[in-house]
Amino acid sequence: MKRSSNPRVVASQVLHKITSAGVSLAKLLPSLWQDNAFEPAQRALVQELCYGTCRWYFQLEYLATQLLSKPLRSKDHDVYCLILIGLYQLQHMQIKPYAVVNETAKAAKLLGKSWAVSLVNAVLRNYQRQQDALSQSLKNNNSAKMAHPQWLCELIQKAWPQHVDAIMQANNQRPPLVLRVNRRVCSREDYLQRLHESEIEAVAIEQAQDAILLKKACSVSEIPGFYEGVCSVQDAAAQLAADLLDLQVGQRVLDACAAPGGKTTHILERQSNLACLHALDNDAQRLEKIHENLQRLALHDDAKVKCLAADAADITAWWDGELYDRILLDAPCSATGVIRRHPDIKLLRQADDIAGLAMQQQRLLSALWRVLKPGGKLVYATCSVLPAENVDIVSVFLDTQKDAREMTIDADWGHVQKVGRQVLPGDEVAFDGFYYAVLGKNKKESKS
Amino acid sequence: MALLNILRYPDPRLRAKAEIVETVDVGIQKIVDDMFETMYEAHGVGLAAIQVNVQKCIMVMDVSDTREQPLCFINPEIIHEEGHVALDEGCLSFPGVYATVTRPEKLTVKALDREGKPFELDAEGLLAKCIHHENDHLEGKLFVDYLSPLKRQRIKKKLQKMARQTL
Repeated sequence: MKRSSNPRVVASQVLHKITSAGVSLAKLLPSLWQDNAFEPAQRALVQELCYGTCRWYFQLEYLATQLLSKPLRSKDHDVYCLILIGLYQLQHMQIKPYAVVNETAKAAKLLGKSWAVSLVNAVLRNYQRQQDALSQSLKNNNSAKMAHPQWLCELIQKAWPQHVDAIMQANNQRPPLVLRVNRRVCSREDYLQRLHESEIEAVAIEQAQDAILLKKACSVSEIPGFYEGVCSVQDAAAQLAADLLDLQVGQRVLDACAAPGGKTTHILERQSNLACLHALDNDAQRLEKIHENLQRLALHDDAKVKCLAADAADITAWWDGELYDRILLDAPCSATGVIRRHPDIKLLRQADDIAGLAMQQQRLLSALWRVLKPGGKLVYATCSVLPAENVDIVSVFLDTQKDAREMTIDADWGHVQKVGRQVLPGDEVAFDGFYYAVLGKNKKESKS
Repeated sequence: MALLNILRYPDPRLRAKAEIVETVDVGIQKIVDDMFETMYEAHGVGLAAIQVNVQKCIMVMDVSDTREQPLCFINPEIIHEEGHVALDEGCLSFPGVYATVTRPEKLTVKALDREGKPFELDAEGLLAKCIHHENDHLEGKLFVDYLSPLKRQRIKKKLQKMARQTL
């Protein structure tokens, strides 16, 4: 027997798993495509329902609470998820409302909860009737209005009082598709011409040398030369790392938290004459992704590249004893800068995760500093918008580490911080939220 | 272990009836292991021996999300059924076909396990549905038999066309 694959049923099961077991969409969807035989249109609908409902979860949850006379039992959480999916379709999709109500109610039956058919039907019909009053009352609840968890609203408000609305609005947008041209193979101008010939509308991004923004997102199979390694999919803000590293011939380079290898491969595209490039990640499974990417971009034969499954902070476990000229520390973080790409972050991340992440970031930074050559540079990066993971980490480090100094980033992107620069979601359409700081190690250690 | 070939509708061998397993020996266990491998590879939740051209009363399944709760039934017999529930289902012998089928909501099955030890199991939800579906296979019955002749005919045409295209 094979499982049924009604898109609404499947989407509610996915949402149920995200909210109850804390599994991410990026983990759930690939196995879903394997286990169910979807037609392309069905698959697109599942994806839209999953991403969209996560994106607007905190608003949909508020609406559902207003519409349900009493909360559902925890064992019926899948029905609750189905209700949210129904509300999402009514609010944000072009499907005819009667079809939404009918199909979503029917899905309750397929979940094995025939009793819930009338409930789902009633809730969705009530929403249609009370739509105006509900959108009025939404205005009084900031978390629901902006569709962000309360704790995150507060943190963003505190950190970026002047940008708070723009950040959250940008987080609720669908992300654009940004490409990175492999300059070993093709110049950006030539590739733009190639896109033009394939009738794909695209523009070059000024602040990132290899970046191209597609006017309309499409599947990678439609992108000319993707499988031949002519380009990669990578947000423009993430492409800034390679510039900041200021790579030179003959350098030893470390990419400390490398998977899935987007920045690793960019480093190699930019500088083919490195002495070595070591890519670390503590997740062996994700390390596989780096190999895949190296292979696709025809960089895997490069003997200088070595991928290692290791915790970067545990230096004794992996270090060969030679110092590095350049280190990229793209630290594990809350990912609050890339919510538009991973809207499930709103559901998966909790307020008290931040302190733990900050500790890990501090630990990585201190440990890696020891393997940086005097005169070398370390680029600290996160895709977070929270100062606790960014400027605070680097400031504390500079205060305590006497041989470290900030090297000011001379750029026209982002917002200048006490140390480093912050790109905020909403600054530019091609840019996710990112933080960068460049630290230089003094040649002579000052006596303390 | 080895992957087995799954028969596709309208292969007439899917209508064969399975024979009782007299003794659970190494040969039977090998079939069970191969069936598990085949089922997991095909991303199915259940597989009956008839579907891999073995006319014996054997069925394997795993309805868990984590794919780590294998269940093996040799000489299964459903001794109790209760309620009705209509759910969508598909079948490894019908690639890409899904339809709503009404089956018991709960059931009790007795069978032998992979070691030949008898056991009884109360099942509900997806597991009950899957046991019922696989048990049908052992009697030569298919899930499309629950559908209207018109729907069945349409599915047959679709799969025949698909088979021609893959040749």
